[in-house]
Amino acid sequence: MSNHKNQHKLWDFPWAYVESFLIYSGILITGFLMEIFFPLKTTTGIIFPYNLFILIAIVALIISFHLFFKNQVFVKWLGSVHAAIMAIIFIFLMVMIMGIIPQIKTESTIIQLLGLNSITTHWAFLLILLLFLISLGLTTFKRILNFNLYNIGFILNHLGLFIALSCGILGAGDTQRLSLELNEHEPNWRAYNNKTNEPIELDFAIYLKDFKVDEFQPKLAFVDNKNGKIIHNDGKNLYLINQGENYYFNDYEIVINKFLASSAKVGDDYQPVYDLGAPPSAQLTIKNTKTNKTVSGWISSGSFIHQYESLKIDENVSVVMTIPEVKKFTSEVSILQKNGERIETSIEVNNPFSYKGWKIYQLSYDEERGKWSTKSVLELVTDPWLKYVYIGIFMMIAGAIYMFWVGAKFKKENNHDVD
Amino acid sequence: MTWINFEAYYIAIVVCWSLSLILLGFSYRTKKLFNYSFICAILGTLALIWFDVELWMELHRPPMRTLGETRLWYATFLPIIGFIVYLKWKYKWFLAYCLAMGILFLTINYLHPETYSKTLMPALQSPWFIPHVLVYLFAYALLAASSFVAIKSLYSFYKNTFSENDLKLADNLVYIGFAFLTLGLLFGALWAKEAWGNYWTWDPKEIWAFLTWMMYLLYIHYRFLHSTKTKEALIILTIAFIVLLICWFGVNYLPVASTSVHTYTQS
Repeated sequence: MSNHKNQHKLWDFPWAYVESFLIYSGILITGFLMEIFFPLKTTTGIIFPYNLFILIAIVALIISFHLFFKNQVFVKWLGSVHAAIMAIIFIFLMVMIMGIIPQIKTESTIIQLLGLNSITTHWAFLLILLLFLISLGLTTFKRILNFNLYNIGFILNHLGLFIALSCGILGAGDTQRLSLELNEHEPNWRAYNNKTNEPIELDFAIYLKDFKVDEFQPKLAFVDNKNGKIIHNDGKNLYLINQGENYYFNDYEIVINKFLASSAKVGDDYQPVYDLGAPPSAQLTIKNTKTNKTVSGWISSGSFIHQYESLKIDENVSVVMTIPEVKKFTSEVSILQKNGERIETSIEVNNPFSYKGWKIYQLSYDEERGKWSTKSVLELVTDPWLKYVYIGIFMMIAGAIYMFWVGAKFKKENNHDVD
Repeated sequence: MTWINFEAYYIAIVVCWSLSLILLGFSYRTKKLFNYSFICAILGTLALIWFDVELWMELHRPPMRTLGETRLWYATFLPIIGFIVYLKWKYKWFLAYCLAMGILFLTINYLHPETYSKTLMPALQSPWFIPHVLVYLFAYALLAASSFVAIKSLYSFYKNTFSENDLKLADNLVYIGFAFLTLGLLFGALWAKEAWGNYWTWDPKEIWAFLTWMMYLLYIHYRFLHSTKTKEALIILTIAFIVLLICWFGVNYLPVASTSVHTYTQS
């Protein structure tokens, strides 16, 4: 076995690791040189129909490689496991750079020059991906031609990855993301492109009937009087304030006597009030179990109108109420169409609405006003290539289920060692 | 302080599993002790599943949000994988490893108690949340087990006691683990599309999940190509697990963490 290896000269058939490494290194270096001299400044990506042309060119190349140059050593290499392994290693390296160096503007000239903070549009990354796609496509194409039942898992995984990757990368230029700002009781049709900030007039308007925020109960936090910092659980996972509950913290026993979700201060007390900006409040009794000293009083988280109120337990510690966390926010909207028809719907996080090729997402709102926000920001996304990416993804899901079902057994069918 | 008495469960489970480990050790000499060991292991695991269920009901949300909560599921899945592997291939040492890891992860949770916040941000309130996390942690547990097999096998290489069967076990674990890893990754993509309108954004956690996926992909292709170069395959498997650990815990400490939606910040 080792004799055979020693006799193998570089670039003799078949190409193995050394040749694979040299080819991918060459592409990597070319890519870096291109990045230094002609970096891709585009923010939009390749748009239709050019991306489709590229995809057709790649597929045509793969098919013609197989039909006309099947016996060329380069084409044989492209479809080999050695090429696949080297592609995995080089893609791994490029993506790892992305996983370590933040992909944002930087002061460092070396990172800037080598394009290490913009890997997704880096020539080296794109060229490596291109060769990898050709390699993957060729391997898949060969298997499809020799179709048999044992190949189903292979084809689902490899073809699925090919479709998802090629359509995902090439289709990125055709995705559009717009944000649309809405105020309650007003229609709006003028959206802004998230990347370029240019205004875009939609051929429909969205009218915000109501914007609603559901909140969790506010939480109880212990604060160090000296530095104002939360001393409890590193500020994480504080206690929710529920009427009638009691908690223990160090030597303190806290009883929540009363909780008002919406209230206002009247004299020394809080009373239920449902005005704009009326904050939650709670009445507590805190007992120091060591000294038996008891303190009673109100706390309130405050709001954008009203001040917060804390309760001092002793010289060192106070209790405060945190601003309630948001559970759900929903825009009740009507979509007004040109023909005068209206579509009534509600949009919330994780529950977008599909309309005329757009997916409409709940993006944000006036966070300072919180649940009293009358403003809602929606995001409109269109991605014409999505269905093809999904075809790829669902093939891979089917492939993964097949793999789980069959396990490592299917290897026995194809177990051939090239060494 | 928690609403739920984790301490009591912790002690019960650790006692069961430790007893199981001790009996398992002696069962190499006295065979029938293994049955008792197996029963103890199952009792401990049932107690942990009971705790998971109780926690889930008490919180009114799936307990899968924080690192501590993911450790809990990991500790649940490992012994289950240990049972299945034992029933199928009769590896006692593998069951021992699973129980020991389970004890380790529960102990970390015991030493860093959480108050289990009941709040869950809107983006996480999705039907994809539970399948995404459970499938991932099941994959992590399987792949961790495969890496343990790899390390044990590397050790037996030096002692010249290496057996091909161990590598077959690693292969089986990797194939099943990789299938789940793929599902977790793709479920995450489908969910992200529903929540943020993008199925892939090169978020740091996504990047490292992708790298983890690539490493196991490398292992599978390498094993396919060279079924006899076992030592190199074992080294790849060990490195793959390091990448997995960076993905699971390490990302939070990398300079890129601030740009991630996956840092498990606890409000």
